[in-house]
Amino acid sequence: MDEDRVRKQEALIKSILYRNLMEDYTPFPLDKKLAVKWANGMNIPKGGRVILYTSYMYQMASVFKSYEKYVPTLGSLGKSRILASIGSRLIKPKDEDIDRSVRILQNVYRMVSRVKADVGYLYEDEPYSGSLLYELGFLDEFKEYGKKVLGFFRDRGVEEIITVDPHTTNTLTNLKKYINFDIPFHSYLSIIGTVKGKGKFVMHDSCLYSRFLDMYDTIRDKMKSAGVDLVEDPTVTGKGVGFCCGGPVGPLNADLSDSIAKARAASLKSVYEDVLVACPLCYVNLEPYCSIKDIAEVIE
Amino acid sequence: MNWVDLISTVSGGNYMEVERILKEYPYIAELADHLRDQKMKVIENLDSYVSMTIKNVERLGGHAYLAKDKDDARKIAGEIVGEDKIVVFSKTNVAYEIGLREYLESRHNEVWETDLGEYLIQISKGWPTHIVAPALGMTREDAAKAVKKIDPSIDENSKIEDVVAAVRKFLMSKYVKADIGITGANAVAADSGAIALVENEGNIRIDTVMPQTHISITGIDKIVPTLRDAMDEVMVQSAYAGLFPPTYINVTAGPSSTADIELKRVSPATGPKNFHLILMDDGRMDASRDEELKEALLCIKCGRCYFSCPIYRVLGKDWVSTKSPYNGPTGVMWNYITNKDPWPASYCVHSGGCKEVCPMRINIPEVIKYIKYIGSKSI
Repeated sequence: MDEDRVRKQEALIKSILYRNLMEDYTPFPLDKKLAVKWANGMNIPKGGRVILYTSYMYQMASVFKSYEKYVPTLGSLGKSRILASIGSRLIKPKDEDIDRSVRILQNVYRMVSRVKADVGYLYEDEPYSGSLLYELGFLDEFKEYGKKVLGFFRDRGVEEIITVDPHTTNTLTNLKKYINFDIPFHSYLSIIGTVKGKGKFVMHDSCLYSRFLDMYDTIRDKMKSAGVDLVEDPTVTGKGVGFCCGGPVGPLNADLSDSIAKARAASLKSVYEDVLVACPLCYVNLEPYCSIKDIAEVIE
Repeated sequence: MNWVDLISTVSGGNYMEVERILKEYPYIAELADHLRDQKMKVIENLDSYVSMTIKNVERLGGHAYLAKDKDDARKIAGEIVGEDKIVVFSKTNVAYEIGLREYLESRHNEVWETDLGEYLIQISKGWPTHIVAPALGMTREDAAKAVKKIDPSIDENSKIEDVVAAVRKFLMSKYVKADIGITGANAVAADSGAIALVENEGNIRIDTVMPQTHISITGIDKIVPTLRDAMDEVMVQSAYAGLFPPTYINVTAGPSSTADIELKRVSPATGPKNFHLILMDDGRMDASRDEELKEALLCIKCGRCYFSCPIYRVLGKDWVSTKSPYNGPTGVMWNYITNKDPWPASYCVHSGGCKEVCPMRINIPEVIKYIKYIGSKSI
């Protein structure tokens, strides 16, 4: 591996990411109108005791995937608010990606609303969780930003958080460990009741859900009880051999990330042609190489 | 077949084979749990276990040394071997860690790797791809091309059996003339000074008894409290490597001995006159005192975590590269322990398969996260 390249890229990301988060609670300048589009017309209360927490993951997944490509641009934007505003127009997902995230998040909200009343959303005020800081090993910055996020939620009276993706769920789990993040949180998949679904798929497990958050069986049970048929091969979908989509290394080396995605898609396709995922980053990484759907696109 | 396809096939096969072994021999998992506890006892009190091991090796009539770093270990081994000798090596990662083969060759010794995979790597001037199967990245054609250098009757169309036979013939000619045999050790029993080695080819058995001097070089992390623990370790290691039962388990406790006359034990007998154990620190003692890192010392080098790792399955040996013989998830930990190099950790995608398949239940992603953090603090 090219260690100099990694060192330089990490240094660049560390400074840009931390600066953006501490100033604006977002990992990069983003168009918040696009991020909250899914909630328009849904009559979702702003804030409240219980909130659905998107952490921009579904809305901005394609930008997270291309983080390595965007880092030089992000660096050149500097601290200027005007330039950041320009950046948010330069760095944005495609319309069809936003439309897809709208459908997914609206479906998640509807499923959650059946078991929880008055679930709110923080709209443009929503802070990013800090997943990238944690996953890249910037633990000091992660803890510092985590305290800021915890204070933010407390100030708004948030008492319970429902997450929609594995990275945010795992991040809150680690904030609990490192800074005693004491607001209860759950993945939507662990609280929704009976749901209906259809289709036949090979499951690409989220690494975080299956091997860090102990949800390997939870998700399978939920899918099977919904009527979704999952095709298994222990050498491809077994808990110990399940394989990453390549996403986490994307900010440091997009080519390596892409090679992992290709290899994973090939092994999944050897089991069944249609792939099911539970993570927006897994989706954007594998999507170029296989027929794929998110869980929230097949259950309701 | 390209690397990604090859390793995908190998990984699936290994996973199923280990699962079969664990089902068929359920006591292996129990041994692994007990071994973890025993190894942790040593890690918590490494200084005293090193002293106990050295004392017991010497009590058997052997010689034991604690090498503090790579230079120290090369110097100790170099002085024992001397110059103009024929040396046969069995696969030893610690020898790679310190560059021992090259060092001995620079002192005018003729040095031959005797593990087939390692021999293929040596004659093709390569670098091990995997900790248990060093020539994993070589095809039959690659192996034949390499062996053709020492046996012109081999060509790229030769069968695997013919390639193996040609290597065997060549190595036999070296074994009979070898002055020194150098091995690693899968485990070292502190209570008795005995070492345990597991293998399938038979080369270790020859390396440890034919030459008149046997040197074992291994890390202090391989010390376990008792000889029973050492036997457990070789059983667990071979099972999780997917090669169980192993063809051979070797125990060496000092130089050769006999008690055939009046039941009085004397040394040497037919085998080696001299036994030397070089225990390598090279960062291990510091690691044992680091709460975030010490779990890494539990690793028994079965190499199973390599197969579960997406980065290894794409980059292969190019991940940690030739800075270290240790690759894959455990290699990221061990490259840091022995070289203080945190950067390969940056590529970890926290897939988590490594901790699922580890027989010692090392929380490898957590250790790697810590190493990432150390790297990130320096930028």
